[in-house]
Amino acid sequence: MSDKEGILVVAEPKDGKLANVTLESITRARALTGAVGGPVSVVVMGADTAPFVAQAGRYGAERVYTADSPELAVFRPGPFVDTVAAAIAAADPAVVLCSGSPDGRDVAAGIAARLGLGLLVDITAIEAQSGAVTVTHPCFGGSLIVEKQATTIPLIATVRSNSFAREEAAVEPQVVALSVEFSADSLLAKVLAVACENAGIVSLEEASIIVAGGRGVGSAENFALIQALADELGAAVVADELGAAVAASRAVVDAGWKSHPYQVGQTGKTVSPGLYIACGISGAIQHRAGMQTSDCIVAINKDPDAPIFSCADFGVVGDLLQVVPALTEQIRKRKAAS
Amino acid sequence: MNIAVCVKQVTDTEATAKLEPSSWRLDRSVTCILNPYDEYAVEEALRIKEAHGGEVTVVCMGPENATDAVRKALAMGADSAVLVSDPALAGSDAQATAYVLAEALKTFSWDLVLFGLRSTDGETGCVPGAVAEKLGVPLLSALSKVDIQGTTLTVHRETDEGYVAYECPAPAVLSVIKGINEPRYPSMKGIMSAKKKPLDIKDVGALGLDTTQVGLESAKTRVLSARSPEPRKAGVKVEDDGSGAEKIADFLTGAKLV
Ligand SMILES: Cc1cc2nc3c(=O)[nH]c(=O)nc-3n(C[C@H](O)[C@H](O)[C@H](O)COP(=O)(O)OP(=O)(O)OC[C@H]3O[C@@H](n4cnc5c(N)ncnc54)[C@H](O)[C@@H]3O)c2cc1C
Repeated sequence: MSDKEGILVVAEPKDGKLANVTLESITRARALTGAVGGPVSVVVMGADTAPFVAQAGRYGAERVYTADSPELAVFRPGPFVDTVAAAIAAADPAVVLCSGSPDGRDVAAGIAARLGLGLLVDITAIEAQSGAVTVTHPCFGGSLIVEKQATTIPLIATVRSNSFAREEAAVEPQVVALSVEFSADSLLAKVLAVACENAGIVSLEEASIIVAGGRGVGSAENFALIQALADELGAAVVADELGAAVAASRAVVDAGWKSHPYQVGQTGKTVSPGLYIACGISGAIQHRAGMQTSDCIVAINKDPDAPIFSCADFGVVGDLLQVVPALTEQIRKRKAAS
Repeated sequence: MNIAVCVKQVTDTEATAKLEPSSWRLDRSVTCILNPYDEYAVEEALRIKEAHGGEVTVVCMGPENATDAVRKALAMGADSAVLVSDPALAGSDAQATAYVLAEALKTFSWDLVLFGLRSTDGETGCVPGAVAEKLGVPLLSALSKVDIQGTTLTVHRETDEGYVAYECPAPAVLSVIKGINEPRYPSMKGIMSAKKKPLDIKDVGALGLDTTQVGLESAKTRVLSARSPEPRKAGVKVEDDGSGAEKIADFLTGAKLV
């Protein structure tokens, strides 16, 4: 038996706050301490981590490791891996949870290689029983659900957004400032510029509602209809939720109506929102691979035989150019009435 | 600038992936293709070579029949290939794969190692980061643009908000996303000449690999079970007679989604 105990969550910043996936991971970690021991600790990195500390405490982090450095202002694998390695040395945890985002994946890969840890990626569930930790990972485009364990303690895992609930449980965390020496090699890559042309965008992975348009939308201009529905739905979701985002099929991205970050599917993003509304998307297997773990799927398509209907909880056979604006209007009316 | 491109052979998404229940290894009797993301890496390597000179070497770990995927990269224009193939490697996880690729990469000189963002089968996306760590060179992942001036790279890493531009000296490990380029189709001439390009198949012994670090037994992760998800049941489908939107709104309200 190992004497390592507790769970270390590697925090991911997002617009000056902790990303939802981090809050979800902290919430889930709290429920696992019975089996893997405590505490739930969080490592926060950035130019100024003070706001992150407070937020981590609000969600129940008993201990927060902080690393404040201008070198950590913008993500780079080198100094971030160095910092997480220092946090693992300090916390000596049994489980390390990173975000399933590109940043979290790079950190987890680097840490696993450096420390020789078992690496479990993109997990959607984690259970622990008397020290044995089992995770679930949907792979092969969601066509296989695999249950895995790591043979090392600690293990490191990356967590898919929207997999766990997010619940506050405020505690006053113990704050431990890490002193991390970055190696010269870790700082070889330098940040030149940060371009934020889509500042404030709701990230697809974190959105609770996604309205997606396919080739059936017909043109880049018509995406205004998709955006309007997303805006209306986003304004209707409860406070603290991240709101609604617009997504696209590959046909749309290839046509240049939307850029690549909007693409959902096998060669785009994998999303699991509470609600996915597919408008004018045929539902090819490569598209479904990126969205079929959504809680609820609604499809609007004029072809009654479109494969998307086979995975839709609610489908309307009709012209999206009529149905989508009408739906936006319906949502607006109902909101005004309530 | 000499470039190594790491590629993987994956099962075609159109074919249903299956794991053998005895070992939870991939049943490779189904149709296999070059991992779609890797086509962007191969294309980017070829573009860098065309602009700056150098050699493009394909590196692959996989079963013997992974030569098909490797030949495709050669047919696109890569110069030579190394395929690490050995029954002892079967069942290797992402970490072991990174170890094998890193060892293979230590056998020749390169300035850049290119990867696709992730594979479409295991979907870990973690091999590039682990290889970079093992080689002790910087990792820059999810790139939508790569520019080279002398031995300095300027790259764009895609983010939700836009991108982050980094500058980094070679050598480095890079992973690229769809959209960085439009991969070429192999020409007939390319396909013919690929058959004659050097393809070096190495086994565990030839690379001097530590067998305690590879294969199913030494993997640091274990598969307990694999199943197909409950197929999603088709729900209600209605014809739009002018009330389609209202019915969706009713459904969403009923399900407490709005
Ligand atoms: C290796 C590989 C990777 C891929 N990766 C991805 C990926 O990541 N993501 C992805 O999405 N695809 C991916 N694809 C492509 C995928 O196979 C499909 O070609 C693509 O998803 C089709 O997009 P679509 O549904 O928008 O277009 P189409 O298949 O053309 O469907 C358009 C739909 O719109 C409907 N329609 C048209 N007009 C209207 C209207 N006025 N009102 C209502 N409905 C209308 C039509 O009935 C049709 O069903 C990949 C393919 C390959 C080979």
